[in-house]
Amino acid sequence: MSAAGTRTELVADARTALESVQDGATVGIGGILTNGRPMTLVRELARRGLRDLTVVAPVAALDVDLLIATGCVRRVVTSYVGCEGIAGVAPLFRSAAESGAIEVWELDEAHCGLALRAAAQRLPFLPWRGGVGTDLPIHNPRLVPFADPIGGESLLAIPALPLDLALIHGHRADRFGNVQFSGPTHMDPVMASAAARVVVQVEELVGNDVIRRDPAATHRWRTTSVVPARWGTHPYAATTIEADVEHLTAFAAAGKRAARGDRDGLEQYLDAHVRGPADHAQYLDHIGLRRILELNP
Amino acid sequence: MSVTATPDELQAVLLARDFRADDRVVQIGANLPTARAGALMAGLSTHPDLRVVIGLSVDNLATAASLPAVRELSFHARSAFEGEAVMDQGTVFDDVASPDVFFVGGLQVDRRGNVNLVGIPDGDGGWKVHGPGAVALATMSTNCRGYYILMPAHSPRVFVERVASITALGDRTRRAELGLPGGGPRLLLSPLGVFDFNDHGDMRVVSLHPGVSLDDVQAATGFALDVPEAVPTTAMPSPSELDLLRERVDPGGLLRAT
Repeated sequence: MSAAGTRTELVADARTALESVQDGATVGIGGILTNGRPMTLVRELARRGLRDLTVVAPVAALDVDLLIATGCVRRVVTSYVGCEGIAGVAPLFRSAAESGAIEVWELDEAHCGLALRAAAQRLPFLPWRGGVGTDLPIHNPRLVPFADPIGGESLLAIPALPLDLALIHGHRADRFGNVQFSGPTHMDPVMASAAARVVVQVEELVGNDVIRRDPAATHRWRTTSVVPARWGTHPYAATTIEADVEHLTAFAAAGKRAARGDRDGLEQYLDAHVRGPADHAQYLDHIGLRRILELNP
Repeated sequence: MSVTATPDELQAVLLARDFRADDRVVQIGANLPTARAGALMAGLSTHPDLRVVIGLSVDNLATAASLPAVRELSFHARSAFEGEAVMDQGTVFDDVASPDVFFVGGLQVDRRGNVNLVGIPDGDGGWKVHGPGAVALATMSTNCRGYYILMPAHSPRVFVERVASITALGDRTRRAELGLPGGGPRLLLSPLGVFDFNDHGDMRVVSLHPGVSLDDVQAATGFALDVPEAVPTTAMPSPSELDLLRERVDPGGLLRAT
């Protein structure tokens, strides 16, 4: 009898976890609105200066603007990019859509989940009624109206959307890729199921024994890498940190000025927050412990 | 306390007044503070059984120890721990028959009640104006019992004969032809007044806000409104409605800031 094998450990830093991502990749970004955005990973993508990404973000915030600002994006698949009262529409998303610098695949929020679920289930599409009679299929011809073969009803085919990579923020994980959340999971589980590779940043790395105390909270993900990143959603919220409204307001303002042709403030922001810090710890150093503590809920 | 309500406070009160007695579940999307306030007011007064799907939580106000705050970023992470259940985006659309009431904001609305939140196409496959996106308007407006259209502005560029793109299909005739199960738009609230849709499905004046004339509202609308013989002035919030709103629902004064 041979000796027991050793289980593979998946812990990596953001740079190592994402170094194989190529130009033109289709990348899902988890979270909803200003919550659960995997910003340590998103900033690493932006820092890499990748090109022609298709970004899939069901209900996104200004993280998509960050990737547009660094020239990474060719296409956005989404139902919303904005920041509620801070920016009704994300300014760089808007200007890039209007100038034609990016292509937008318009979807309803529910379509986003169905497209990911279809990919996870290896189906070409899933049917849906919401969107029938709207102009979404005109703007996004991949949404195909069809007659239900059983009752003849008017429905829409929502095409599968397989991802090369999913970026997710989880609460805790062990070294083997067992991930648990704190609070709701948004579309993150189905997004992970639709992806060939799943990189999860987490607030805390825990022992496998901690995971085993609450197995119902563990997601059956094919996790590729676990990236420890305490407060890694900043400037967005997780249950460990509130959204940094001041920071987001300043970034939105810089984006609005850039959309009008004045990129100085935006470039300063990118130098300070994306290009400058070599890793997540340096990013947090720049934000400052005092500010992080102020944002503790 | 002043009994002069701000436009946003008036909108919240009008919504709270209009919910049906048997509305059980109200779902509120992002960036709609007046809808949040209206739902909370109803849950604290006329609708003790109401469940509000609000931010990342599902709550009932009659038994809540504290109220969800009406705030700038309504979907804040810890809101998931403030209610009786969590709103999980991954499963919320698995039960599209559950929400009775939804709220729809728009860049444009037309005579038939169609709403556009996606943008104005440039006619060449691109966009003259791109809005925030569809969010869940198509799905929710298709399925919920009734929804409220909340327009932040009232001008001929916003109230148009035909929206440049349909995100929420309000047109009663088309809805019936396509077999959409939901009830369609109940009311439209604008800064000038309250509107509904007549038996033919065309937009009709219900009431005008104080100081607004029929000429004003028609001049601000890019199509002919259906005007009934008698058009009342919108009843302003009563002192007790304003007390409830200001003291319990919106003590931070977000709706007073406008």
